[in-house]
Amino acid sequence: MYVGQAIRRREDERFLRGRGRFVEDVRLDEPIAHAAFVRSPHAHARVTRIDTEAAAALPGVLAVLTGADWTAAGYGEAEGVWPVADRSGAPARTVNRPFICVDGVVRCVGEIVAMVIAEDRHRALDGAEAVAVDYEEMPANTVTAKALDPETPLVHPALGTNEVLVTEHGLKEETEAALARAHHVTEITVPTNRVTASPIEPRCYMGHYDAVGDRYTVWTTHQAPHIVRRYFTKSLRIPEHKMRIVAPDVGGGFGMKLYHYPEEPLVLWGAIVSGRPVRWTGTRSECLLGDTHARDHHTTGRMAFDRDGRILGVAFETLGAFGAYESQWQASITNAYHFTMLSLAYDIPAIHTTVRGVYTNATPVDAYRGAGRPETVYQVERLIENGAREMGIDPMELRARNLIRPEKFPYRTAVGITYDSGDPPALMEKIKALSGYDALRAEQAARRARGEWMGIGISAFFDMAGAGPVKMMNDLGAKIGCYDVASVRVHPDGRITVFAGSHSHGQGHETTWSQIAADRLGCAIDDVDLVEGDTDRVPMGIGTWGSRSLSTAGMAVYTAADRVVAKAKRLAAHMLECAPEDLDLADGAFTVKGTDRKLACSAVANAAYHSGDRPADLEIGLEETSFFDPDDCTYPSAIHLCVVLVDLETCAVALRNYWAVDDVGTVINPMVLEGQVHGGLVQGIGQALMEECAYDPETGQYLAGTFMDYAIPHAEDVPSFGLDSHVTRALGNPLGAKGAGESGTIGAPACVANGVIDALWPLGVRQITQPMTPKKIWRAIEEAKRARH
Amino acid sequence: MDGISVTLTVNGREESATVDPRTLLVHFLREELHLTGTHMGCDTSQCGACTVHLDGRPIKSCAIFTAQLDGASVTTIEGVAETGRLHPMQAAFKEHHGLQCGFCTPGMVMMGIDIANRHEAPSEATIRHELEGNLCRCTGYHNIVESIAAGARAMRG
Repeated sequence: MYVGQAIRRREDERFLRGRGRFVEDVRLDEPIAHAAFVRSPHAHARVTRIDTEAAAALPGVLAVLTGADWTAAGYGEAEGVWPVADRSGAPARTVNRPFICVDGVVRCVGEIVAMVIAEDRHRALDGAEAVAVDYEEMPANTVTAKALDPETPLVHPALGTNEVLVTEHGLKEETEAALARAHHVTEITVPTNRVTASPIEPRCYMGHYDAVGDRYTVWTTHQAPHIVRRYFTKSLRIPEHKMRIVAPDVGGGFGMKLYHYPEEPLVLWGAIVSGRPVRWTGTRSECLLGDTHARDHHTTGRMAFDRDGRILGVAFETLGAFGAYESQWQASITNAYHFTMLSLAYDIPAIHTTVRGVYTNATPVDAYRGAGRPETVYQVERLIENGAREMGIDPMELRARNLIRPEKFPYRTAVGITYDSGDPPALMEKIKALSGYDALRAEQAARRARGEWMGIGISAFFDMAGAGPVKMMNDLGAKIGCYDVASVRVHPDGRITVFAGSHSHGQGHETTWSQIAADRLGCAIDDVDLVEGDTDRVPMGIGTWGSRSLSTAGMAVYTAADRVVAKAKRLAAHMLECAPEDLDLADGAFTVKGTDRKLACSAVANAAYHSGDRPADLEIGLEETSFFDPDDCTYPSAIHLCVVLVDLETCAVALRNYWAVDDVGTVINPMVLEGQVHGGLVQGIGQALMEECAYDPETGQYLAGTFMDYAIPHAEDVPSFGLDSHVTRALGNPLGAKGAGESGTIGAPACVANGVIDALWPLGVRQITQPMTPKKIWRAIEEAKRARH
Repeated sequence: MDGISVTLTVNGREESATVDPRTLLVHFLREELHLTGTHMGCDTSQCGACTVHLDGRPIKSCAIFTAQLDGASVTTIEGVAETGRLHPMQAAFKEHHGLQCGFCTPGMVMMGIDIANRHEAPSEATIRHELEGNLCRCTGYHNIVESIAAGARAMRG
């Protein structure tokens, strides 16, 4: 069995030798031209003049294109992948993100106003510099909390409001009743900071038009090539059958590389106009500005407790930033992926939430690893933490009293989602043992006595992973079918190619999909190759996001492989003159049970293509495809615990320890799983302590130009991790697997925040907005001091 | 714009070229020599994906002009393995799952080799400190630190 083993990754060698093939590495026979973009320097302005003449006259410049040219060409816009209706039933007040400014108004810094195509990078940049644009500045707002204030300027005046939509979920009356009869109510305002995924590979696109064959090709840094193909029908209006999308090696995505970004159709447009392949690679400044941002919720919450610390109900009011436009999946983040998980790992009888999506003059917001759930966990866990302290109950003990008991599964939450399986108390016991919780509390007491500020943070939650099923996701708003596809092709020599509609950009599918296929096919893993990321080789697929690939594409591999085996068995039985059910499959051969008569799979494979001696109703060939639509989402769960030390002299937070216990169901490769958790944790820690897409609230200028201004964690900012797992099988797919990609990012912001608050609680500190920088910690301590005197 | 002639050694091979004065080493390696293992992740020398060795010391190839390098010797990720066999530091990254998407990896390996060259048995704290010029967004560093420690042991052994 390969499944369950820490098989070393089969993709590693090419990366380690510098032979990965990323979009920027792709070479073509023809010389590749470069694109450069002219972007708005203002948060909100009217474009009164664009003069392209000087740029077009520069040597090496092949074309200069503007929104007027786009409109003249009759091109379209980026429609929503996941629109959500307002609670009234009316459609949301959606304004899609434009590819290039077409209506003479720019609504956030960085919006594209013109594109220059030139023979090389330097000439393209010189050309962009030579485009003269006049702007008439208009008032702007980048602050989410202010978006609906009456004096706030409107991002889209024609709408008459900055409100995109309002959604409401849960049990309103029951929740208000719980708050009214509670022994104790905890209230808190918890903004979730605006961050951006920042994979180290910048976004990069290359477009090519073959005029002879009338075929279009785009190489793209993308997580879901088939979804890109679908949305080129809307942007450049290219039918799917004429379009090839190649997403080769991609250097990290984290949800951010999931959209039909402006530069993607623009480079192909440039290729059509110039007759040359055109490539654009984002500078880090362009990426920090133009990659979708994430989170940016402004939330107030109230939690009702009974005398014993049992949670009776919780209510939230949220303003969820959309930015200047509705990005393709954004409504799913503030809505489908937010309210669904509000019960976390707790048995909460009444939950109610109202979310108002709002426009601001800032970069559009969309999914980033966790997408809606880090916000949810942060909001609920901060209430639990403060509630426990206000009631004088140990925070672990209060959580223990509220965890969903294992006998309650399948557990239907107050927001109407049913968790199929899990055992939160077992996770809690494991993390207490792993961390030595009681000893940590003793250490904390001893340190406090010495005037040292140590904190212990906890968070416990469920995740909704593995989107579909198709129907459930359609009901939540998805305009794409949330299945996935795999084909298993057995070649005449018995070797296997698996074609999958997922996309690996760090997850290691070449290893894990091969583990699944080799087990089902009874062959050696080295005889399996994987193809992903090319719509000409893999005709359909939905791609990798939302911790979905294992329970959809992985299951499609499993199912297609089983179909191959069923067919091969019939042929083998015919060749061995026995019944198919008399055959065992192992180690690359079919054996007649109880005998030494065997037939190598390679012989069966060869016969499948080249022998006329087969059952009359058996088709030639040995290749099967599965379009796998799961029975349910998957609901992984986890509990995190960390130790922080806050230095009162510098107000710096040192994260000393971090433990996590995950329940992701069946584990395919424990080494890959741990790597996924590690990476997610550090992104969540970054959100908690250092990352922020900051805007100047007066001018709307974006303040993060490089990695000097946008702080992603370095090796020295984080500790090594202590991980464990506890398996309850998923019920929605035969593998029993749950998603594993997002747990770290989902749980860490809350866990670290609770740790810092735990450290500073005796000083009177009750809440610090993330990122919890030394400046904010210092200010919180000073304010708490003042409040006490 | 006049070109500047340079001759330098890259992975043991002498290369002569006339370059635009603005050509960064990373672009020269990637676009002229097609050594695309050296990556550019941030343009401003924070991420370290472009790390190569210049005369035996690690540098950010996005922060140096090719025209400055006449007579220099450069080693890139493509030059560290013997034919057919991974360098011990590369092998350690594979064994310890020190890479996910693979984009920062060449820079991490080049830096890891340099750390091992300068520290006999680098501790976790030393490795984390030495990686101040290299960013990874996938691995959370845990396994990179283990890889470099193991690679350093293997390089000594």
